[in-house]
Amino acid sequence: MEIVWTLLYMLVFPGFLFLTTYGMICEWVDRKLYARFQSRLGPPWFQPEADFIKLLSKEEIIPEAANPVMFRLLPLFALASVLTAFLYLPIWNTAAIYSFSGDLIVVFYLLTIPTLTFFLAGWHSTSLFATLGSVRNVTQLFAYEVPLLISLLGPALLSGSWSLSEMNQFFVERPILLLVNIIGFFVALIAVQGKLERVPFDIPEAETEIVAGSFTEFSGKLLGIFRLAIDLELVVAATLISVVFLGGSFGLHPVLGFILFIVKTLLIVAILALFRTVMARIRIEQMMKFCWRYLAPISLFQLLINILVKAWFL
Amino acid sequence: MSEIKIPIGPQHPALKEPESFSLTLEGERIIDAEVKLGYNHRGIEKACESRNYIQDIYLIERICGICSHSHSTCFVQAVEEIAGVEISARAQFIRTIVAELERIHSHLLWLGVAGHEVGFDTLFMYAWRDREAVLDILALISGNRVNYGINTLGGVRRDIDKEQSRKILEIIKQLTERTEYYIKVATNEPTFSGRLSGVGKLSTEKAKELGAVGPTARASSIERDVRRDDPYGAYAQIPFKVITDNHADVLGRTIVRVFELLESYKMLKYLVQNMPEGALTVKVPRRIPAGEAISRYEAPRGEDIHYVRANGTEMPERVKVRAPTLANLAAIREMLRGGFLADFPIVIAAIDPCFSCTDRAIQLVKDNGAETVDWRQLRDYSIDWHKKRGIDLSRI
Amino acid sequence: MANEEIIKSLEAKLAGAVYNIISPRERRIFAETTVQKLVEVTRLLKEWGMINVGAVTGMDGGDKFEVMYHFNDARGLLLNLKVFIPREDPKVPSVVSIFPGAFLYEYELMDLLGIKVEGTPPGRRYPLPDSWPEGQYPLRKDWKGLATETEVKIDE
Repeated sequence: MEIVWTLLYMLVFPGFLFLTTYGMICEWVDRKLYARFQSRLGPPWFQPEADFIKLLSKEEIIPEAANPVMFRLLPLFALASVLTAFLYLPIWNTAAIYSFSGDLIVVFYLLTIPTLTFFLAGWHSTSLFATLGSVRNVTQLFAYEVPLLISLLGPALLSGSWSLSEMNQFFVERPILLLVNIIGFFVALIAVQGKLERVPFDIPEAETEIVAGSFTEFSGKLLGIFRLAIDLELVVAATLISVVFLGGSFGLHPVLGFILFIVKTLLIVAILALFRTVMARIRIEQMMKFCWRYLAPISLFQLLINILVKAWFL
Repeated sequence: MSEIKIPIGPQHPALKEPESFSLTLEGERIIDAEVKLGYNHRGIEKACESRNYIQDIYLIERICGICSHSHSTCFVQAVEEIAGVEISARAQFIRTIVAELERIHSHLLWLGVAGHEVGFDTLFMYAWRDREAVLDILALISGNRVNYGINTLGGVRRDIDKEQSRKILEIIKQLTERTEYYIKVATNEPTFSGRLSGVGKLSTEKAKELGAVGPTARASSIERDVRRDDPYGAYAQIPFKVITDNHADVLGRTIVRVFELLESYKMLKYLVQNMPEGALTVKVPRRIPAGEAISRYEAPRGEDIHYVRANGTEMPERVKVRAPTLANLAAIREMLRGGFLADFPIVIAAIDPCFSCTDRAIQLVKDNGAETVDWRQLRDYSIDWHKKRGIDLSRI
Repeated sequence: MANEEIIKSLEAKLAGAVYNIISPRERRIFAETTVQKLVEVTRLLKEWGMINVGAVTGMDGGDKFEVMYHFNDARGLLLNLKVFIPREDPKVPSVVSIFPGAFLYEYELMDLLGIKVEGTPPGRRYPLPDSWPEGQYPLRKDWKGLATETEVKIDE
C-alpha cells in the first residue's frame, strides 16, 4: 500500500502530472502577462501544451561530434531533479510529503542540478555557440547562487530549523516575523530570476548573441524535456519562495491552503514577468559585479538583522 | 581561455540580412573581426543600364525596403539635373514629407531593433507599435507601406490633400509624446543605458578617417548632414537643427536618432502647414541628353550617393549607387575590436544596416477558390477578429 | 566661398596636376588627372580640405576605363576626380594610405570591372562570391552574363 501511495505522490499529485500541468499554466501566465505588458495579445491558454506536443513530434538531431548517451540522458536528469525537489516542499499545508531536517539544503542543491545539466548539455554539444553558452551558464551560477543561499538562510536561522516544513510551521505560528525577511524576499526574487535564466539574466541563452546558448544543438523531444524542466523549475522556485518568505499555506484548511498556494505562486510568477518586461539583458561581467557588489552584501545584511532579531526577541 | 574563432552569419539571429562576420574571441572579449559582404549583391547597377529611366526608378526603389524613397529620390534628382529640369515647389515639399516620414519609420524601427538586440523586447514592441502609425500614414499618402512609388521624373505621382495633412499632424502629435517617453527610457533605465554606454567606441578622428556617415558620424561629434550642407528638396526652406552628440558610442547613436525623430516631427509640421500650391509634375523628355550628375541625399542611415551618366538615349550609360551602410561598414571593425561578444549585436545594429521588409497583400484560400484582400480589408478584418475576442485594437 | 574662388584655390594648390576643372553647379566640381599623379593629387586634396572618399565609380568607356573618385569636404563640396586608364592594362594605385575608408570601394573596382588596384590591403573579396569564376567582370559593357552551366557556390 505504501508503494502505491508513493507512486501516486510521485506520478500524479503533487508529482509529475500535477506539476507539468501547473508548470505549463505558469508558463502561460508568464507569457500572457509579458505580452499584455508589451501591449501585445499574447498566446492562448493551450500554447505551452501545443509547443510541447509539437516538439515531441519533431525529429531529434544529435550532432555527430556529440556524445549521444549524455545528449539523451541530460534532459531527463534535469527533469528528475526538479520533480524530486518539489516533493520536499509543503503545498496545501505546512508539512511536505517527504521531509527531514536539512531538506532546505537538499532542495537547494536539487535546484542547482538543472543548471549543471545545461552546462553539460552545452559542453557535450561541442558546437561553438553551445560551448560559449555553457561557460556562461556556470559563470552565472557563481553569481546568483551565493546571494540566493544566504537569503534562504535568513528565515532558516530565525526559525532555528533547516527543514522547510518546520520553517513553514514556525512562521505560520508567528506571521509577524515574516516582515523581518522582506529584504531577503527581494534578494531571492532577483537571484531566482538569474537561476531561471530570464531577462535581465538570460545571458546563457542570449538569442541575438549566441543563438540559443547551451540548447543550440538540441531539438525534438530532448529540447521539449528541457523546456518542460525549465517550466517546472519556475514552479518549484516560486513555491520555495512562497514557503520560505510568504508563509506558504498558513496552515489553513487543505483546500484553502491549496488556493493560497496557487495565488502566491502566480503572484511570484507575475512579479518575475514584470522584471523581465522592464529590463534589458545585461552583460555577464555586469551581472557578476551586480551580484557580488550589491546582492550578496544585501543578503548578508539581512542575515545580520535576523541574528539580531533572534538574539533580542526570541 | 585560448583564442577561438566564431562565425556570425550569414545566418544568425542577430543579423536581419545575410552578412558574415568572423570574430576572434579571447573568452568573452573580441580581439579581431573580419567582415564578408556581398550576399545581397543583385547586380542592380548593371540591370539599370538595360532599362529606361522610368523603369530604373522602380528598380532602384527596391534596393532597400526601408530607405526606398531615399534611393529613388537620389536617382531622380540626378536625372533631373542632367535633363535640366526644375520641379515645382509643391512636388519638392511632397518628396520631403515622404522623406521625413520615412526617416521617422526607419528610426523607430531601429529603436525597436536596438531594444531587441540587447534583450529589451518591451522597447521593441512599443517602438514597432508606434511605427505602425507612420506606416499607416505612408500607406494613406502613397498607397504603399514600404516601396512608396511616389517619385517620377519631373515630380511626384500623388498629391497630399487636406484630410491627409490633418492626419499627419494628428499622428505627429501622438508620436512626439511617445518619443519623449522613449528618451526618458533610453537615458533612465539602468540596464538599457548600461548596455549602450561605452560600447562600440568610435573616436571623431577614426570616424572621419574611415568615412562614417549619418547618425554614426554625428554621434562621434562630426557635424555633417547633407540636408544642411548640400540642400535638396525643400530642405533649404525649412528650419531644422543638425543633431550631434559627443558620446561616440552606441548610447550616442541612440540619442542622435531619438532627437532626430523630434526634429523630424517639427520639420513635418512646418512642411505640412506651409505647403505651396503648384503642379505635381513637369515634363521631362524620354531621352535624357548626354551628361553626368552626382546626387546626394541624407537617408535615415546616412549619406546616399548616386552617380548617373546619360548618353542621350532612353537608358543610362552608368548608374552608381553608394548606400550609406557601405560607408559605415569600414568603421565596424574599429568599433568591434576590444568589445565584448555580448555587445556584438548592438554594435552592428547601431550603424543600422539596411533590412528588408516583406510584402503585405495576402491571398485567402476559401472553399470557392482564392480571394485577394487589400490592406484596408485585412486591417479591418484583424480589428474585427480581435474585437470579437474582447480586445479593442482600433485605437492603438 | 563662391565657385570661382574654390576653383582658383584648387588650381593654385594643384598647379598643373589636374586639368579640365569644371563646376556644373554649386558644390560640384569635376576634374581630371593622370594615373601617375593620382596618389600625389589625392594627398594634396586631403591637405586642401577633403576629409574622405565618398565613393569610387568605375566605368567602361570602350577602349578606356574611367575611374572616378568622389571626395567629400566638411562643408558639402563634392569633388569628382576622373582618371582614364587603358582597357588592355587596367591598373590604378590605391589611395587607402591616404583615405583608409576607401578600401571597400577599391574592392568593388577589382571585382566588378577587373581593374587592378595596386597596394590595397588584403581581405575577403567584395561583393562577388569567393568562387566567382576568373575573368568575369559584370560591369564591363561586353559582359553578357555567366554561361548557364557555371556553378557559383555560396560562400561559407
